[in-house]
Amino acid sequence: MEYFKSSLKSVLGSASVENEPSGADTVERLVDRLQSSTLLNDRRDACRALKALSRTYRVEVGAQGMDALRQILEMDRTDCEIIGLALDTLCNITSPKTFDEEVDKHGPNNKVGEQFTEIFIKNADSVGLVLALLEEFEFKVRWPAIKLLMHLSTNRLKDIQEIILVSPMGVSKLMDLLGDSREVIRNDVLLLLIQLTKGNANIQKIVAFENAFDRIFDVIAQEGNVEGGIVVEDCLLLMLNLLRGNISNQNFFKEGSYIQKLTPMFQISSEHDDNPLSTWSPQKVSNVHCMVQVIRALVAPSGPAQAVSNCQRIMRACGLLQALCNILMASGVPADVLTETINTVAEVIRGNSSNQEFLAEVMAPSNPPRPAIVVLLMSMVNEKQSFALRCSVLYCFQCFLYKNEMGQSQLIQTLLPQGNEVPSLTTGQLLCGGLFSSDSLSNWFSAVALSYALIEDNTQKEQLLRVLLATNIGKPPVTLMQQCVMLLQQGSKAQCKLGLLILLCRWTAHCLAAVKSFLLIDSSIAYLTALLSSQENNDDLQETLLQSMCAMLIGLCVHFNDNSISNYTKEKLCNLIENRIGLERFQDAIGGLARHEVYSRTLKHPQPSAKNPSELLLDHEFCRLSKTLEGVIIKSVLDGSSLHQKNEIATPILPDSVLITQYKDVIREQSSQIQKLNQLTESLVKEKNELEV
Amino acid sequence: MSYAYLFKYIIIGDTGVGKSCLLLQFTDKRFQPVHDLTIGVEFGARMITIDGKPIKLQIWDTAGQEAFRSITRSYYRGAAGALLVYDITRRETFNHLTTWLEDARQHSNSNMVIMLIGNKSDLDNRREVRREEGEAFAREHGLVFMETSAKTAINVEDAFINTAKVIYEKIQEGVFDINNEANGIKIGPQHSPTSPSGLTGTGGQGNTQGGGCC
Repeated sequence: MEYFKSSLKSVLGSASVENEPSGADTVERLVDRLQSSTLLNDRRDACRALKALSRTYRVEVGAQGMDALRQILEMDRTDCEIIGLALDTLCNITSPKTFDEEVDKHGPNNKVGEQFTEIFIKNADSVGLVLALLEEFEFKVRWPAIKLLMHLSTNRLKDIQEIILVSPMGVSKLMDLLGDSREVIRNDVLLLLIQLTKGNANIQKIVAFENAFDRIFDVIAQEGNVEGGIVVEDCLLLMLNLLRGNISNQNFFKEGSYIQKLTPMFQISSEHDDNPLSTWSPQKVSNVHCMVQVIRALVAPSGPAQAVSNCQRIMRACGLLQALCNILMASGVPADVLTETINTVAEVIRGNSSNQEFLAEVMAPSNPPRPAIVVLLMSMVNEKQSFALRCSVLYCFQCFLYKNEMGQSQLIQTLLPQGNEVPSLTTGQLLCGGLFSSDSLSNWFSAVALSYALIEDNTQKEQLLRVLLATNIGKPPVTLMQQCVMLLQQGSKAQCKLGLLILLCRWTAHCLAAVKSFLLIDSSIAYLTALLSSQENNDDLQETLLQSMCAMLIGLCVHFNDNSISNYTKEKLCNLIENRIGLERFQDAIGGLARHEVYSRTLKHPQPSAKNPSELLLDHEFCRLSKTLEGVIIKSVLDGSSLHQKNEIATPILPDSVLITQYKDVIREQSSQIQKLNQLTESLVKEKNELEV
Repeated sequence: MSYAYLFKYIIIGDTGVGKSCLLLQFTDKRFQPVHDLTIGVEFGARMITIDGKPIKLQIWDTAGQEAFRSITRSYYRGAAGALLVYDITRRETFNHLTTWLEDARQHSNSNMVIMLIGNKSDLDNRREVRREEGEAFAREHGLVFMETSAKTAINVEDAFINTAKVIYEKIQEGVFDINNEANGIKIGPQHSPTSPSGLTGTGGQGNTQGGGCC
């Protein structure tokens, strides 16, 4: 009796000064009782007391009580009361947080919870026991069981994921709880599923198989769609986890007609005219951010081309693209939402001609009405707009022109002399304006945007050569290329020069006429060689990039040279490189490009990755161009110079071996394409015959 | 595209028996002789027509390797149909059928329709399992049986479609509770129970008939 009193006292915290049992002693006694008492009531009391101590004496309870608590989960399964207490206690000792009242804190970042998690899951059945308890409907069992799983997975995600995967119906049991009518359970399961689906494709697929998308859309609708609270955001985060990088789930999402279910979520009410601030609460902004991420997960440029194009087609057909464009053109949309929406529209139209056409026809509700693309480009060349927004417009424009011959040619057309029509503000004019503005960022954006109109399109390159600019009154007009070269030489900012070089490289690549025009411009080559042979600022990133790109441009002039200008034949240019720059230095400069971190970063994704204006130096498409041409250029230059060394024989018109290999590649690619198409035709004919039968 | 019903299938069986090839032949109508090992599961889908009704099949192709067995088990419960596949040129894949069947019966809902498939019927010269043996196994365990070739496409359509027909009949007999999605069946959006032309009426009839029988 005395023993009982004293232990009770210590449990209740009434301290008798003499002979006070330490926390560890009390815990030991309670654990002993928990293990050895045959009366359920006794065990319950002991467990309740342990729970009360499990924050203050966390280390003691964990170290001594773990096995006993685990045993309770196994043996006393039928008594919800004691199971609930045991689970609560386990939650406390495995908590990733440190409690204020903890005696042995070991600092704020102690790993106590993690260590106890490790001990708990060492016995593989432990997690299975907790999973089995999820089936108990009683709130005080189910809820702490979810919380315990949350703590365990926070501390040891990979292990818990593997254990749950091999537990019979582990994931399915969790999915069932999404239908629990008690919101707190449903919401916590949502959080747990977000955690468990992180980076584990197998769990992601099982969750999707268990009708997760239906459940998620149900909850989103119950919670008020885009206007809903944080639970909507949680739902979207789970959806994102299931889709990002998981091709099987993306396919399932598409085949299950879930893309169509996204559209109503983007039909954002137009009541914003009354009070724009009230309709864009921070939560709504977060929700929309997640929603557009879901779309981008389906049409990411890195995805399989066929799947991406299928999703793009559906997005157009079900009105999702339209809804996105509406947001684009609505007023009162916060800048960051607008930026992300532009990036999303970009990926929904990328390389898909009918979606690109759709965007081309969207009109902005301005006065006079202007095409949305013109309005977007106006923002790109507007210094007052945020940097992120301007980058997103460039990305959108890049995606708009990607594999879009028609769009490319229409852009160039706007720069050529038109009939008598009074020209309205056109994309071409805006880009020219940006090219010659005093804002170096606008120069870069415009030059790069213009270069997108020339990708894989020699006709446009030749058309662009025809563009004339009126300068000062009374002076003859100059060509666009002349103006670019002049700007390059005028010693403006490096960013502007880099942009111009990107444009000139794209222009001259594969285009003999453009090379010829470039070589005819006064001092164009002289400028490049001078810049390349200067030894200054070799540590400066922008300067080294400039030199690399100058080398690239000279190389292009060698490689795509038809020898029609006597001063700058292949041979003479090679000669110049050898004598003025040095072959080694030239090779270093060209090869040096790929050694920069900014190069590999830019090459990785078509979207500009720069976080601030000073980082915006290279462009994705340019990096791809340089990657494909670097080798042949160097070879051309080396061949040219060694030829020169061989007793200065007059350059015979040799079949250009490099060009031949290139053509061979093209032919090989085309023949494989023909083969594929033949196969396709064959199977279609077969299918047709089958259908007819 | 709208559908009257959606059925979830799984394809199970030993590694290398041609599960992924069967799926590819069914969804894309092509054969890929060299196929990567399936990791976990892969998803495929196709629309078919039964009794004039459009039916969407969602198919999960599972990995046959032992290491993925526990993952595969998670897919039994929610499936309405299963194709249990063996390779007629490898007897051991036939011998393992009992294990697969036990696993399936244990974890699935009792109404799941299982179709036994002897694949690679084009390789008759290398045959190790006679057709009669497959038929006998199917009879003994109450399965539907077919021999298929994912390479020549023989019987591939029928394998998937016949399974769907059995499920469809079971729905009409009222065996499946179509409102419980855990059975792997969904009613199409345009074919909800309220729609007058829906099949649920027939299902209801089946129910009463079933009651009369018992």
